[in-house]
Amino acid sequence: MIEVEALHKRFAGQVALEEVNFIVPRGEIFGFVGPNGAGKTTTIRILATLAVPDAGTATIGGIKVDDDPHAVRELIGYMPDFFGVYDRLTAEEYLQFYAACHGVPHRRRRPVAHELLELVDLADRAGDQVDTLSRGMKQRLCLARALVHDPSVLLLDEPASGLDPRARIEMRELIRELRRMGKTILVSSHILPELEELCTWVGFIDRGRMVAAGPMADVRNRVLVGRRLRVELVDADDVKLFAARDQIADRTGVIEVSLVENALEVAVEEEFADQELLLALVQAGVAVRSFAPVTGDLSEAFMRLTGPGAERAG
Amino acid sequence: MTLTERLVALLDNPLIVKDAVSRMRSWRAPVILTIYLGLLGAFGYASFVTATVLQSSQRAGSAQIGASVFASLAFIQLSLVSLFAPALAAGAISGERERQTFDVLLVSRMTAVGIVWGKLVASVAFMLLLILSALPLFAAVFLFGGIDFEQFVITQLLTVTTAVTIGAVSLFLSAVFRRTLPSTVVAYGVAFAGMIGTLVAGLLFTFALMVRGSAGAAAQAGGDFHPLLFTNPFYALYVVLNDANGTPMHVGRLFQLLFFVTGQPSTIGPTLEPWQATILIQIALVALSVIGAVQLVQARRAPMPSRPPEPQEPAAPDEPPVPAGQEVTP
Repeated sequence: MIEVEALHKRFAGQVALEEVNFIVPRGEIFGFVGPNGAGKTTTIRILATLAVPDAGTATIGGIKVDDDPHAVRELIGYMPDFFGVYDRLTAEEYLQFYAACHGVPHRRRRPVAHELLELVDLADRAGDQVDTLSRGMKQRLCLARALVHDPSVLLLDEPASGLDPRARIEMRELIRELRRMGKTILVSSHILPELEELCTWVGFIDRGRMVAAGPMADVRNRVLVGRRLRVELVDADDVKLFAARDQIADRTGVIEVSLVENALEVAVEEEFADQELLLALVQAGVAVRSFAPVTGDLSEAFMRLTGPGAERAG
Repeated sequence: MTLTERLVALLDNPLIVKDAVSRMRSWRAPVILTIYLGLLGAFGYASFVTATVLQSSQRAGSAQIGASVFASLAFIQLSLVSLFAPALAAGAISGERERQTFDVLLVSRMTAVGIVWGKLVASVAFMLLLILSALPLFAAVFLFGGIDFEQFVITQLLTVTTAVTIGAVSLFLSAVFRRTLPSTVVAYGVAFAGMIGTLVAGLLFTFALMVRGSAGAAAQAGGDFHPLLFTNPFYALYVVLNDANGTPMHVGRLFQLLFFVTGQPSTIGPTLEPWQATILIQIALVALSVIGAVQLVQARRAPMPSRPPEPQEPAAPDEPPVPAGQEVTP
């Protein structure tokens, strides 16, 4: 649905995008991850027909963005990384205004506004002026605004920035709901954990270059070599830890067992059945206090990949 | 499509509705309206009192009082309109940009023409409301007599076209500048140049023409006015209100005088009254401003990012890529 090939863009002599490539198949949620200033916004603006690349192509729904920007604008719903709201308009009028801008016929504008307010859970605030809404509500209203013409592709630039945890979760649920409605979604963030459990596809960008991109599981495998499990023992000491390590180190599917902060970290293959490992430990008489996957591990990999000394993937 | 449908379609622009709604909801709208009518009423009353006091000794009729009050009202209204118009229009497009809603408009189905047209109508509409709301005041003075209907209509027409012109030029400036502040400052500068600058310069040039004319052909009937005066709405208004016959000039003569040629008057082209010349110039200015603004909005469809990319710490191993084929050593 979205294809980006060898995008290159310079601003005033400074390279903003050097080599950006990724694809997003129909119906997937693509997490576009990179530190601030890596080129996420520039790439999204090119996809949104607001900027022209110096080289490379961006295609949405089979249409090249700079060939027919009008057709592309019909396909996309764009939510910038800032939300522009108007003073002295109610939430409902705000949506009706954008529905009108997108050529929604008169008699459909009110129902469309109502449906969208319902969708983003703002139906009870329909008559409130936009500038009195909380930040999370404004953000959801802006997402609703991007949907007024029922686009099949959504380009969301940092939709969760500046939101409190509760509002973040609401935004995440909303994006999941939109995927269920069949939309293809590109969502950017400079914080990976925010996207890790939401996205089905992921792309890392750093200093204008793609570091890795593809289906979530592939990227995870490629950058992590397996998943990691953390095993904590009751009254752990080195003897117990080493004994426990010996119990599991040779099992098939276990890649590596290491001692980290008075606990075991077990690297396992993606398809490894975790419960068998737990069972083996318990049967061997090891007193397990906690047994859990290490979370945020992709973030670490991401930090490694994009850190100052990171090796560049061509 | 019938004419009415076309008209409705022209006004069926989301920006017009949106701007009108949000403008009329702000506290500013009634305040501006009150100040405008208050000033107009106060000046009108003052000139009425002055006229009666000054002319009572001459046993003036109501027609003379009417004419003089009407004239002062018309001048004050024209001044007020040129004072308010830049403020109302100079933020039209830069305001959208400052509010960061401009990009979103650009990715909608709105065309550049639609955006500029909607913004122009939205800002001019409020000025039309001001002018319309002052009509009863003019109508009351009109009852005194001394002003014929044609003068009344031309006065209002000139005020409207001046409002539209200043609005359009300010709108163009709001597309040129990214911020409303510089756009407003320059808009006031331009309005001042157009309303006062052309008047002063026109009078000076006319004086120069008179000096040169008296040295040559002494028999200059009626005198020559420099064409710059013909672009000035105040001068046009003055002629309309004070000279029933006007001072029509041939277009050819206007061009002669533009370059200070005082010889044999040319009779090429139709004759123009000052107000006709002013309105023609204004139409041209509006057209140029609108075309310019549309071009600028169109160009902004592929603008710089709203934030420049943050400077990165230089990555040492990154040599600028050498394009293939340029690696040939000399």
